[in-house]
Amino acid sequence: MKTGLINTISKIALVLIPTITLSMAATAHDPSMHVKKAEKADCSKMDHSKMDMNDPVAIAMMKKCMQQAEKSNEKMDHSKMDKKMDHSKMKKMDDNNMKKDEHNNH
Amino acid sequence: MKKLKLVLFLSVLGVGVTAAVIYSGIVNVAADEPHSDLVYWLLEATRENSITKAAENIKVPDLTDPELLLSGGVDYEFMCASCHLKPGQRKSDMSLGLYPTPPNLAVSNDSHEGHEHGDDRQADRNNFWVIKHGIKASGMPAWGKTHDDQRIWAMVAFIKRLPSLTPEQYQILTAIE
Ligand code: HEC
Repeated sequence: MKTGLINTISKIALVLIPTITLSMAATAHDPSMHVKKAEKADCSKMDHSKMDMNDPVAIAMMKKCMQQAEKSNEKMDHSKMDKKMDHSKMKKMDDNNMKKDEHNNH
Repeated sequence: MKKLKLVLFLSVLGVGVTAAVIYSGIVNVAADEPHSDLVYWLLEATRENSITKAAENIKVPDLTDPELLLSGGVDYEFMCASCHLKPGQRKSDMSLGLYPTPPNLAVSNDSHEGHEHGDDRQADRNNFWVIKHGIKASGMPAWGKTHDDQRIWAMVAFIKRLPSLTPEQYQILTAIE
């Protein structure tokens, strides 16, 4: 009876141990590919001079970056900001596209 | 009488061949072994026609609202990019391992092969329907069980612009904050 149990257990072990070992090797490729980090928008890469302010993509990017800036507003030292945003190069904003801004809704 | 016998014989033969194919295990279902050209064509034509017909009466809302790109972008990054890729990315585990291969939605329709998409509006409808209902026996899930139509339209709006986005634009639109 006892040897029967031991036999069964060792048979199970014989199957399970190689299975687990092998399957771990199969998953062990570049784990960085599977990691999802909650990244912040990298707003420093926005090139305003190339942006067309009638384009929903440009408006959406501005919105996201403005929200981000508002969140960290207290930390910002405005006196030290240089005036890199060149508004003269931006095409005129179209009122139609800005209507949906939540500030106009109340 | 002769005709009837022939019809009977042919139908028995048909059922017999079908049963033989099913029970012999001769069909290879491995995802790393592509379909033959004929089977591929049969499945693709069936799928495309089915989607176009099912979607033809869907009303497409205004998809130019910038807010849609923000909602759709975040959802796309977290739910779809692993299979459908993003600007600057050519492959992933899913894009290589799944069959049928998930189309690369970050390149424009004309450059992903084998697809006839018809006009723009119909493409939006089809995309909405596919995202909502998924596609049987492929990796494409039905997102409509867990997401309302508004969220799905936002993803439709986002993938409409996706092929034109640079990696930097994509990063900003899809980031959590
Ligand atoms: C697990 C992988 C996977 C995920 C995740 C996934 N898809 Fe898919 N998707 C597929 C596959 C595979 C197909 C192709 C199915 C076929 O050809 O039969 C597909 C097809 C599509 C199509 C049809 C494309 C065309 O040109 O015919 C659209 C649109 C689509 N997916 C959008 C999405 C969106 C949006 C998401 C995220 C909400 C998503 N998918 C998530 C695998 C996936």
